[in-house]
Amino acid sequence: MSLVVFVVVAFTSAGLALGLRARPMATASLGLVGLVATVLAAVAIDPAQAVVVGHSGLATTAYLRIFLILGSLVGLGLTVAGLAAGTRRDAAAVTLAILGASGLTLGLVDPRAAVLVATAGGLFGVLVTLVPTDGRAGATIGIRETRAVVVAGALAIAATAWFGRDLSQLAAQPVVFGLAYLAFAIAVAIRFGAIPFHLWAARLTDVVPETSLPILMALAPASLAIVALAWTDASVAPLLVDLDPARAIVLAIAIASIVLASVAAFVQDDLEQVLGYSIVGDAGVVILALATLDPEAWAPTRTWILVFIVARSSFAAWTAGIRAGFWTGRVEDLRGWARRSPVLSVAFALVVIASVGFPGLVSFEARTSIVELALDGPMATLVLLGTLAPLAYYGRLLWIGLARPDRILEPIDAWRPRISPPDVTAMRRWLRTTWNANRAFSTASVALLLGVLAVATSAGAFEAPAAAAGLPPSLSIPSEDVAPVASGDLPEPQESSAP
Amino acid sequence: MNPALVGVALAVVVGAVVAGSARNARSAILGLVVTMVAAPVLAEPTPAPLALAARLVGAVLAGYLLWIATRGDRLQTQGSLVGWPTEAFLAIAAAVVGFGSHGLGAPTDGPPLAAAAGFALAALAVLPVVTGRDILRIGLGLCLLLGGALLVRVSLGGTPDALEELMTAGLVATLGGAVAILAVAARTDGRPGFELSSTTTRRSSHGANAHPRGPR
Repeated sequence: MSLVVFVVVAFTSAGLALGLRARPMATASLGLVGLVATVLAAVAIDPAQAVVVGHSGLATTAYLRIFLILGSLVGLGLTVAGLAAGTRRDAAAVTLAILGASGLTLGLVDPRAAVLVATAGGLFGVLVTLVPTDGRAGATIGIRETRAVVVAGALAIAATAWFGRDLSQLAAQPVVFGLAYLAFAIAVAIRFGAIPFHLWAARLTDVVPETSLPILMALAPASLAIVALAWTDASVAPLLVDLDPARAIVLAIAIASIVLASVAAFVQDDLEQVLGYSIVGDAGVVILALATLDPEAWAPTRTWILVFIVARSSFAAWTAGIRAGFWTGRVEDLRGWARRSPVLSVAFALVVIASVGFPGLVSFEARTSIVELALDGPMATLVLLGTLAPLAYYGRLLWIGLARPDRILEPIDAWRPRISPPDVTAMRRWLRTTWNANRAFSTASVALLLGVLAVATSAGAFEAPAAAAGLPPSLSIPSEDVAPVASGDLPEPQESSAP
Repeated sequence: MNPALVGVALAVVVGAVVAGSARNARSAILGLVVTMVAAPVLAEPTPAPLALAARLVGAVLAGYLLWIATRGDRLQTQGSLVGWPTEAFLAIAAAVVGFGSHGLGAPTDGPPLAAAAGFALAALAVLPVVTGRDILRIGLGLCLLLGGALLVRVSLGGTPDALEELMTAGLVATLGGAVAILAVAARTDGRPGFELSSTTTRRSSHGANAHPRGPR
């Protein structure tokens, strides 16, 4: 089965790269080869296959294929950008392992098994929290990340287990349904570092390379969010019980994340923290989708998740490009960046277009649909305006970029590629020199390419909206004409005498 | 009630009490291994041999990685602040609640003893996970929390199928490996214990320190 090939390629490459970690260049090279292989394996996935194992199994869908293709491409781009701008030796292996876990998570038919793999996928991220110069400080941040991942996993395991049985003879009060739904929604919120569960994620931005942040904070949790969405649509949304109290809490978390994360990103001084909070803010829209409890949100949410991953990754590559080109990640020190690097300026414009969008763009319409399905009246308008709040921190970055430079560290044409004539007698030295001389240009170019990919995804390329509207993985033959419906074994709505 | 399952449940809870309260790092890990090895058997019917073997391998691998991470002369972890008798009473109370509320409102396919042990493990995990100031202790607490959630899952949904057992084994081993790596990293500064760092590493944003380098 094609998904199994993808998973084997991803995990084998990750294992080999980790096995060679004592030799940083070898592990980086192997990681790159592995990422290229995962791109090819993702492209080769047949979106209508199923493998039965016992009473469960694995199945592929068109959405799974698109998710893994885009995930592998951004993983490859971020790894190259990281090698140029500075990264950890395990970054490529972690990306590969998370891609493998994401593929398995999205392919598993049983959500009870899928949440286990999604949790394991989150744990791979601890490797990039380890700081070579201060192991204890890195491990402290790593154990906090582990805590967030495992607590979220335990909540998701309990929630899916509660629903994953015959509930036809249920005698419990509706509050139990609300608690199970709330547990899974909070699990997703914790994994995304949504406000108020953001402290571990904020610390993560202090130690994790910027090019690994979207992998840890967007790609890995996104697979859990997709499982949560499918589970909510199939198990919770069809119930005619009052879930308003639980839903109100999920709405509060989502709105707080959308609005406050943008405020936090606006006031931060370090680009990595701006990046981290921008991820949290966009993840708020995904959490908002979990609060809709409406199958209509299925397609727009899954479309938004794709845009979210690619757009945040392109922003991360831009951040790496800034650090490689201007030797700083401090926002106040970046006066004139836009005047001095046309490539980064174009990449920045693409990032803004992809992540904020405009009416008519698929991503913009998807986000608007989610907000309108979750909220009514003036509140919907306010939250919709809140989703445009990233314009504030993008505007600040642009304002600083257009200001007059207050210090000159590099010649004015430093952004251009610099290639000296090849020395055939010492090719390795020539390659190394050329690579070192073009680190800034390489990173900026990757940011530009990922920006183009983000805008294309935002515009609905790769048939992403059609794939997003498809069914979740199933062991039966997928049909394009059937809308997602609830599974069997759900309780009939019944009166409860409970207070 | 199956007396063998009662014995297994007892072993799971006793191991968890040791894991949550022992100050000697390796004693705590030994307690955790007992819990992790016994937990998969706490199901009715018992998992298929291959699935059970996968769970046992996952549990032993996690324990072995933690064992390696605690190499050294009588390494200490934070241990329980309230003492093992209090931890034991807490576990008993939680087990009674779990046994009594088995099914949480609907018939289940799993044994009530799994619910009892699952609640006990979850209760024992609270203190280390919430108040732990030690990487190994937090990690052991997280292993107990995961074990508790998995037992509650068995009590509600019955014995998992082979694929789910395989995923569970992978998750248990990954968690053990992650905690072991962090524990080893914490000791690279030469200090013997696993205490959390009181300082936060901050990324340098100025000049040459921020200049791109090869992977580190």
